Amino acid sequence: MFQGTSAAAGLFGPLQTVSRDAGGLNTAIGYWYHEDKIKNGSEYIIRQNEVYSQVSYGGNSRWEIYGRIGVADLKIFDAFSSTNAATNISSSSDFTENWKFFGTLGAKGFLPINKILGIGTFFQGTYYFNNFTGDAAGTNAGAPFTADLKVHNMWDVNFGIGFQATVPYGIKLYAGPYIYYSEAKACLSANIPGIGFGRENVLLKNKTIAGGFIGTDIPLAKGFHLNIEGQYSERFSVGAAISYTY
Amino acid sequence: MAEEKSTSDCSCNADKVVNIRLMNIICYVKHFARLVAFFVFLATGCAHSPVQTASTVSAGDVSSPPQVTEVVSASLTSPAEIPDKPENKSNGDEEYPDDIKDEQTATIADPLEPFNRAMYHFNDKLYFWMLKPVAQGYSSVVPEPARVSVKNFFSNLGFPIRFLSCLLQADFRGASTELGRFGINTIWGIGGLMDPAANKELDLQKQDTDLGLTLASYGVGHGFYIVWPVLGPSSPRDSVDIIGESFLYPVSYINPWYYWLSVRSSEVVNATSLRIGDYESLQKAAIDPYVAFRDAYIQYRLKKVKGRNQSPEKAKPQDK
Repeated sequence: MFQGTSAAAGLFGPLQTVSRDAGGLNTAIGYWYHEDKIKNGSEYIIRQNEVYSQVSYGGNSRWEIYGRIGVADLKIFDAFSSTNAATNISSSSDFTENWKFFGTLGAKGFLPINKILGIGTFFQGTYYFNNFTGDAAGTNAGAPFTADLKVHNMWDVNFGIGFQATVPYGIKLYAGPYIYYSEAKACLSANIPGIGFGRENVLLKNKTIAGGFIGTDIPLAKGFHLNIEGQYSERFSVGAAISYTY
Repeated sequence: MAEEKSTSDCSCNADKVVNIRLMNIICYVKHFARLVAFFVFLATGCAHSPVQTASTVSAGDVSSPPQVTEVVSASLTSPAEIPDKPENKSNGDEEYPDDIKDEQTATIADPLEPFNRAMYHFNDKLYFWMLKPVAQGYSSVVPEPARVSVKNFFSNLGFPIRFLSCLLQADFRGASTELGRFGINTIWGIGGLMDPAANKELDLQKQDTDLGLTLASYGVGHGFYIVWPVLGPSSPRDSVDIIGESFLYPVSYINPWYYWLSVRSSEVVNATSLRIGDYESLQKAAIDPYVAFRDAYIQYRLKKVKGRNQSPEKAKPQDK
């Protein structure tokens, strides 16, 4: 029944590195609100909040590699909804789990067309180190039950290309399409009739593989930059980061 | 089978009991040390002024009787700080900068000299026999930028002491600088591993202060000279910082004790690896290293006290 999930990719960031031309570090702290809609037989909405710290190294205004470490929660709406009349869920029908650690690695390259425009590409992968677990409780044919749903081995990869324009005050505007793939395994601690999970692992994948992103990078004072970005696939996701260039 | 199980349970329990006892002993020792330092401070520390102009003994003089309260003289200005102004040298009197002409003396009593000398030699052996070889091995494996990052990390953890010290000195600008530094270095400095706050653009420099300097700002004298085993030169007033550190330095709260010891040892080894040779050069240059280090210590502390008490504007004329 439940056939898909999608991990939060996080901000892709400006296509051109904010590091110094001679090569240098930049660090950032970011927040990302992610929503996606999964439709495969039934429709589910997934929601994640993600807070992370990032360190990047780039140079020549052409390339950058970066790593992130952060925490994310996970909510899957109606994950425990039952299709069997004999199964009643007394707890929340949503799967909810609090902050778990994740790590992201990425790289990007940028080719200036002229002083204003440029084209860039990026690749980004995320892995969640911890399992997400949530409880469901209720009755089946009058007999009470409790079961844990475990979502584990969650990861995603993203690849995109985009155009960037540098406007006055050094503000960068960027947009483009991206493709992504994410998967996770899920298993329930007991077989409950009417709930779409069992004791065997179920492979969860994203339904839609493509989306679009748009964002801006605004230079602030004293080496700080504000980056705001939105992504749309099945649902709209948005986030912001503040970076500091060494 | 049951007997084996009970034997293993017993050994497990015994291990736990030993661990608990060890932790208790360390706790008692910590509390005892705090109490001793506190009482020593109360009994003697408050009575002394940070700067005395009483009878002085030169830095190289080692013949003073240890049972008599000894006063050591030290010039506030080290040769490195003397500005080079050849154009002003018109006669013999003007060969020396004003700082030297207006020489002030930093003094410290040393009634515990026999004990201090013993502790000095203990610390000296500890350094040469254990700390230095370990630090050399460590520095050959870990590159300098990484060691500087580790140093930055521990320095960032020392924020509560510096912040509170600034507040207690009513130095609100310093406190806000420290707060800003901590926030920026923790968030954009990857948990304090880097120090972006000290960069030219932000220019939030670390406030060089501690609880000993806070007491000094209230007019509390340094008291007498004391060399603590492992911790090194101090005074009753400055020992307050050791006590404060056990409450305000986050590393002090690491449990169990062997984790705490490992982290503290790593910190010391890392810091030592970044200044191998400093101790040796000062020691080689001295006729009596004990006296030289005592002088260096009191000069260093007095310079810090002066630095905290003078605003940059006030300090400028003296820096000419």
